[in-house]
Amino acid sequence: MKKFFQSLLAKYMLIIFMALFLIQISFLVIGLFVLGLAENIEDSKDNSRDYGVIEEKWHTEAAQIEDASIDQIKQHFEKWKHEYSEASMFWVNESGILTEALDVTEEIPTEWTSAFTAKFIKDRYGGEPFTVIAFVGNEEKDGFIVLELPREVFQPPIQKLYDRYGNLLSIGILLIISLFIIVSFLFFWQIRKRLLSLQDAMTTRDVVGMPTQIKVKKNDEIGQLEQTFNEMVKELRESKHREQEEEQLRKELIANLSHDLRTPLTKIRSQTYSLGREVLTTGGKQSLKSIENSVVDMDRLIENLMSYTLLMASKYKYELKEIDVVRYIRECLASWYPAFEREGFEIEIYLKSFSSNQWRIDPFWLSRIIDNLLQNILRHARSGKYVAVKTESTSQYDAIVIMDRGKGMQYKSSKKGAGVGLSIVDMMVQEMDLVWEIDSGKNGTTIKIKKFK
Amino acid sequence: MINILYIEDEEDIGSWVTNDLRKRGYDVTWLKDGEHLERYTTNIDIAILDVMLPGLDGFSIGKRIKKEITDIPILMLTARTAVEDKLEGLGFADDYLTKPFHPEELAARIEVLLRRFQKNDKILELKHLKVHMKDLRIIDKNTNEEILLTGKQYYLFQYFIRHLNQILTKEQLYEGVWGETYMEGDKTLMVHIRYLREKLEENPSKPSIIETIRGIGYRVKV
Repeated sequence: MKKFFQSLLAKYMLIIFMALFLIQISFLVIGLFVLGLAENIEDSKDNSRDYGVIEEKWHTEAAQIEDASIDQIKQHFEKWKHEYSEASMFWVNESGILTEALDVTEEIPTEWTSAFTAKFIKDRYGGEPFTVIAFVGNEEKDGFIVLELPREVFQPPIQKLYDRYGNLLSIGILLIISLFIIVSFLFFWQIRKRLLSLQDAMTTRDVVGMPTQIKVKKNDEIGQLEQTFNEMVKELRESKHREQEEEQLRKELIANLSHDLRTPLTKIRSQTYSLGREVLTTGGKQSLKSIENSVVDMDRLIENLMSYTLLMASKYKYELKEIDVVRYIRECLASWYPAFEREGFEIEIYLKSFSSNQWRIDPFWLSRIIDNLLQNILRHARSGKYVAVKTESTSQYDAIVIMDRGKGMQYKSSKKGAGVGLSIVDMMVQEMDLVWEIDSGKNGTTIKIKKFK
Repeated sequence: MINILYIEDEEDIGSWVTNDLRKRGYDVTWLKDGEHLERYTTNIDIAILDVMLPGLDGFSIGKRIKKEITDIPILMLTARTAVEDKLEGLGFADDYLTKPFHPEELAARIEVLLRRFQKNDKILELKHLKVHMKDLRIIDKNTNEEILLTGKQYYLFQYFIRHLNQILTKEQLYEGVWGETYMEGDKTLMVHIRYLREKLEENPSKPSIIETIRGIGYRVKV
């Protein structure tokens, strides 16, 4: 139950009830107010402001006037004038002569013919002003007196009330409606604000790319949503943490495995090296050389296998950087130069600047690619005794070109492995949004690593 | 005599490396772990460390040594080849060599490090020149006279000697000697190399000491 009262639903219901209640109350108050005023108005005036009553009264009083004289009529008129200030009255005597008039504004003839009298009666019947015609005296021989009253005098009190207090009432009702609108607006605006800030919190990420927890201020539906969101963030963080731990374990495992494989390899090398210092026959020296080469190959294979495993699992360290690629390649080549020099290779290096030397790549990956490709040349294309590294620029792409004059990739080199080295190159090139192209024939191999503009 | 501190827990590899280095004329202190390290760090010229050790690992030991004595070159010698390991190692160490290594390579790298840290008081024979490694005095064997270099020439030569046998790109040389970013097309370096060659080479038009490696840069090779 407590929860219900904290909910937005309850709040909204409250607003609606309040609004309904307020409107009802206001109408009630207005009703009472109007009634009070109406009573006031009716109290203050003659409560016989009614067509029938006035007509009746006019007739009765007229009948009571015996042997009407001007003074008597005048007196009678003044008495009425006192009571109905808006009234106008006149007297037409038995001869049809207008004898007395009080406050008559319209044109009336001084002599009343029977035709005019009939016309007057016809005109005024049910018209404006309200007109009562009564014969003077019981015998109806003293002519007739006419009472004229503007009909607005008879308007119902509510009408008058509206005329007087109408604006005030409209403003009051408008105020109440505006109040309701404002309260509703504020209510929804608050909800909207909180929802938007929630949305904001859902889209912002901290340094490790995780959404952050938010502060729960209220315990309503949105508050519950925020709480659920926080729980979700917590779970997400935990799972990310677990994932990182697993990743770390995996990396450790691979690193340890490679370490454990290399240690005996180092021992083999140490033994062959010591053996090499002994006096050996030519055959012995040859097999020692062969063991040494196998150690080197094995080392390479372990390295490739490890890289390949990490790459396949997307666990190989990968960090993009803007680097001057021509300069970087030149530095890589500087470390490879002596190896080719020792083997008596002809080395051609033509590195020209591209229109933009800045490539967004992982430098370690690039050096790994270059290492693998150059190592392949040293191992499989030794017969050509030639290596060239060049830059190439066309309107579509910039490229690094590596060429040899070996027997081509179709030729079965005795040192050919399963091609793990090239698979690594392929994966790395693709991952860095570069394209590579191999053109291999009997007279050599050309590899281009292209970056499209 | 050069004193080498070598930490390796693997018996066979440890004894082999120790023996080989001793044969090459170094004094080697071989430890199997990093315990009581402080007893041995007082009089050493270079440290060679394995990473996977019982107790304290090689990275921690290396950092500790560097903190204590800043001008000691440290070479990490390990079977851990992951990029992360290399990066962590090179964060403080001066070189990183992975197993299985060739003893010649290890010896060469030790030489390079000793030269870089000027721990060597050897005299280097460079064609017709004799170079005293400690103060970089250059004697022409033909005339037995000392060759004097001006400031920039001296620094340039020093840079080559520290990176002996290594091919250096124009960018590396310029940034290493002048300490500024190399701008494509800048002729300053070429001019200074020409002056240096005029002083050092017997025949400056056919240089044999400062080689030009086409497309890459320059090299001083023993």
